[in-house]
Amino acid sequence: MTADELMLTIFVIFLALAFVRMLAYRLYGEDPRFTQWLNRVDSVPYWSRVIAFLLVMGAVAYVDGDEYFTSVMVSVATYAMLGLGLNIVVGFAGLLDLGYAAFFAIGAYTSALLMTQTHWNFFATVPLAVLFTGTAGAILGYPTLRLRSDYLAIVTLGFGEMTRVTFTNWDYAGGPNGILQIPFPEAFGYVFQTQFDFLIVGLVLLAVAMIFAQHLEHSRLGRGWIAIREDEFAAESVGVPSLRLKLFAYVMGGMWGGLAGGFFATRIGAIDPTSFTFSLSVLALIVIVLGGTGSLPGVLLGALVVVGLPEVLRQFADQRLLIFAVLLVGMMLVMPQGLWARIRRKPKPFYGLQEEEGEDVAAKILREHQVQMEERDRRHAAAGHRVIKEGEAILEVEGVVQQFGGLRAVDNVTFEVRRGEIFSIIGPNGGGKTTLFNCITGVQRPKAGRIHIDGRSVVGLRPHVIASRGVGRTFQGIRLFKNMAVFENVMVGLYPRHRTMTWQAMLHTPGERKDELRTLQESRRWLGFVGMEAVAGRLATELSYADQRRVEIARALAAHPHLVLFDEPAAGMNPTEKVELDGIIRKIRRLGITVVLIEHDMSLVMRVSDRIAVLDHGSLIALGKPAEIQQHPAVIEAYLGREEDDLMERAQGA
Amino acid sequence: MGPFLQYTVIGLTVGSFYALVALGYTIVYGIIRLINFAQGDLSMVGAFIGWTLLVSLGLEHLPLFLAIVVAFVVPMLGTAIVNLGILQFAYKPLLNRSLLAILITALGMSLVLQNGSELIWGPAIEAYPPNLLPAEGMFLGPVHVTYVQIALVVVSLLLMGGLVAFVQGTTLGTAMRALAVDHDAARLMGINVNQVIRLAFVLGAMLAAASGVMLGLYYVQIQFTMGFLLGLRAFTAAVLGGIGNIPGAMAGGMLIGLLEAYTTGYLSGKWEDVIVFGVLITVLVVKPTGLFGERVAERM
Amino acid sequence: MAVLEVRDLHVFYGNIEALKGISLQADAGQIVAILGGNGAGKTTTLRTISGLLRPRSGSITCNGKSLVGLSAHGIVAMGISHVPEGRRIFNVLTVEENLNLGGYLIRSDRAMVQQRKGAIYALFPRLLERRMQLAGTLSGGEQQMLAIGRAIMSDPKVLMLDEPSLGLAPILARSVLRTVREIADRGTTVLLVEQNARQALTIAQRAYVIEVGRIVLEGEASELAKDERVQKAYLGGFEAVSSASPEP
Repeated sequence: MTADELMLTIFVIFLALAFVRMLAYRLYGEDPRFTQWLNRVDSVPYWSRVIAFLLVMGAVAYVDGDEYFTSVMVSVATYAMLGLGLNIVVGFAGLLDLGYAAFFAIGAYTSALLMTQTHWNFFATVPLAVLFTGTAGAILGYPTLRLRSDYLAIVTLGFGEMTRVTFTNWDYAGGPNGILQIPFPEAFGYVFQTQFDFLIVGLVLLAVAMIFAQHLEHSRLGRGWIAIREDEFAAESVGVPSLRLKLFAYVMGGMWGGLAGGFFATRIGAIDPTSFTFSLSVLALIVIVLGGTGSLPGVLLGALVVVGLPEVLRQFADQRLLIFAVLLVGMMLVMPQGLWARIRRKPKPFYGLQEEEGEDVAAKILREHQVQMEERDRRHAAAGHRVIKEGEAILEVEGVVQQFGGLRAVDNVTFEVRRGEIFSIIGPNGGGKTTLFNCITGVQRPKAGRIHIDGRSVVGLRPHVIASRGVGRTFQGIRLFKNMAVFENVMVGLYPRHRTMTWQAMLHTPGERKDELRTLQESRRWLGFVGMEAVAGRLATELSYADQRRVEIARALAAHPHLVLFDEPAAGMNPTEKVELDGIIRKIRRLGITVVLIEHDMSLVMRVSDRIAVLDHGSLIALGKPAEIQQHPAVIEAYLGREEDDLMERAQGA
Repeated sequence: MGPFLQYTVIGLTVGSFYALVALGYTIVYGIIRLINFAQGDLSMVGAFIGWTLLVSLGLEHLPLFLAIVVAFVVPMLGTAIVNLGILQFAYKPLLNRSLLAILITALGMSLVLQNGSELIWGPAIEAYPPNLLPAEGMFLGPVHVTYVQIALVVVSLLLMGGLVAFVQGTTLGTAMRALAVDHDAARLMGINVNQVIRLAFVLGAMLAAASGVMLGLYYVQIQFTMGFLLGLRAFTAAVLGGIGNIPGAMAGGMLIGLLEAYTTGYLSGKWEDVIVFGVLITVLVVKPTGLFGERVAERM
Repeated sequence: MAVLEVRDLHVFYGNIEALKGISLQADAGQIVAILGGNGAGKTTTLRTISGLLRPRSGSITCNGKSLVGLSAHGIVAMGISHVPEGRRIFNVLTVEENLNLGGYLIRSDRAMVQQRKGAIYALFPRLLERRMQLAGTLSGGEQQMLAIGRAIMSDPKVLMLDEPSLGLAPILARSVLRTVREIADRGTTVLLVEQNARQALTIAQRAYVIEVGRIVLEGEASELAKDERVQKAYLGGFEAVSSASPEP
């Protein structure tokens, strides 16, 4: 076989595989035999699958032996590394990056300068290249954190161009001529110089990049990233520090780019600024989008297409790029999700976990919760704060005002919620209830007033800080992470509970594994707690509203808060589901968690609440026990309108 | 003072080209949140259609006024058709899909335009008739201003004025601004959203084509790759002014033109990119929605 | 006869069935109220009628002509106007420009646009005072007036209002509803989604109560107003109502 035929064959095999896979999921997605098989594949360690795959690729190159084919494969490996890094930024964290070539350039230049100027060994320069690009990621990331994602397009593009121009004008790095005669890599006296040698180095680096990326994706950090991508606002509210994580994504993405860049420099032997143009950034982006944003096998496939397709099209010479562009647009139109799209639903997410009986689950949650609460109280006391006891005010709202333009959404509202009670806030729509929740959870900063939780002020704190202080919430318009499975949603809710380090996640250390297993186990228990364990593997959007609300409650509870705020949990529920909700709320209280409820369903409110506050037009018009509220004339008027209404007369006249 | 004013004149001339292309970015982005990366390349296509008319078809020998009118109008119409085609075949099916897929498609369309033009017009640098317009100019104090510069800036301003009059003064133009705020509410007014999107693509392409022809007349040389840098500058200008914001795009274009001229004049042309993007990033850090604030529809 | 008739409407968001067979009708000049809790499907019903959502099945007819499958702007042209929840005025445009857009479909007939604007300014003199002001700077009540004025610029046969009293002080809410009554008295059919049940029932002739995508009660407004189940629904939850209709 000629190199071109071989490449075409590989193409066809992979595209066919992608197609069969898509078909299999569509046809047999629910078939237990298929899912069992998937679980079995999943239980084979990821690293062994990666190594096996790359060994096969190496073997094909070795057996074929063609220098040209091998060199194309080396390029595929380089682009795949690049794609893996960009995938962290774009695919996981959802941050657009059109200047990714900058990291590739910084990595390549660092490595090349160290090798030519200080005569370091290539393998010794790699860590430094990675360190430098990671730092560059932080420099790029920091000023852009608060920008909306579309602006990132131009800012990152600008960063890429600035980097390239700087290298062009930097005489120490050879200016426009770049760096020549970069030595070959050397290890234990062996000099890597044939294309096949490079392929081996490339595949080894790729394996490392691939395995680390996979570990990251399936770690607490990876889930945090994906949660931010799905819904930054909701992610913050369950305790994910979005700004820090975005910065991290840039740093990590930069590191992978540095790895690829260093390898590129030593392999090519001479680098100059024209190797790192905007079009390289675009190609890297195409690699991941074409493969399926966020999907690691997709990156390999994307790299194969982006590098291999133009080679196969060589015979068309002039029209090559045009055909490539047309094919690219065509593929996006046919498969907008990418060739090897990430499929996040999982038929049996708890496969292999130890089964637990229903009562056992409740007992375990209770025990765990008590441990957590005691520990929190102890920490609270140790930090010099007063521990709020049962019946004392855990949430104090004092004179809170929130204003939008001319509209006073919350007007001088004062009340307190006592530890251990179920407190409801009712009132007509537009009365300021949700705005008040937003002020309490840090989503908005009130214009005036004090809000204390646990005796400490929370005004001005970011939502994730308030969440990690033990405040959980749900949203009026359900805000689950739509493209994550139900159990993953709850696992994100556990974010503030763990303190795993990034390096632990990357290496998948035993400690991290234990944490992950516990997270998974706990997410299962919480789903059991709200009666949703059976649907744990489905996508959040596949559930009915009522079920989505229950999952949202589980997510809010996952980090063992001591105060939860539920915004209209019964909206869209039928009577049976409302009764179940009633039970869930009582169960939550039995754990010792204080519950604040916004709700319109009066019978639910009257049944479960210890006390009720009524908000109308931003003001607190009544506060008291359910029976008092039911008789309160101002409340009846707010809901029903005044009895002697001039409208009545008109209608009677008409 | 002399050089400064001289740079200012150059900056404003080039800036007006950028402003025209930036308007295309901004109109389209404001309505459907798509960065139409092909915008700069549409300019290039316009420049080549104009070149074909003037040079290949020999329109340069017609009376000057007639030649110029044809050399503007035909490319503007032709490019508008190209852009409508792109909208219909490449973007429309993806409009409600992921932003990334459509972004990649836009980048792909930019490639298609570049390589398609290379096929049609060849990779070589082509030249607009150098003597078509008078080369002389006049002195305003110490500053030398050519008649071409004056004419091009005036035409740009007229086009921009026309756009503003349309957008501010007509109900259809108001509908365009409304669409940049709320699609559903616009539908409920009886506005045919697809029609207005098509209108935005037509207007964007026409402005881009006009700027392409002007570039050809001003710099004489054109090439199939010229759209990239132009598009990049214009996109930067649109973001600098606050994307979706029409006066912002015009001011942004002028600012970028001036910045570029001063950098080249006082520092060196090779630092242009660094200065331009440096200023952009600084502005965005201080004011994340651009100088004049953004006008962008919520994602559909 | 029925100006607007909806029959067995089923609407899905992805896999979730939001409307499970809604049927309702409104006669000429009638005000028909739709009541129900948040998440029950009131807004979905209106959005489906105005073409912002596509039904999976069911029919919607206006004066006998089917609306299903028409685009939203086509439905406006058929004489159905929708004031969406939260008003959704164009806050970066002036009051006048908002009204002009309300008359988008008749924009070529300038005299007609002027005449209708004049009528709206007569109905809401406050809008005339603030003609050149950006709509975003108006107070809540004025914004609601603008939203209604904008919707009747097209002189609709059917006006659909989604919670027009939301966030308004009682006195303003009453005046808005009074205006709705006036508009209906001139022959426009009104479909009114309102949380303020008593006021809605006072001005309406017919009413429907929706819960979880189904109609659980319907009848003459005056009778529903006396119905204990509705009374209870608004201070005692919907159980009383739905226990009458068994879950499938």
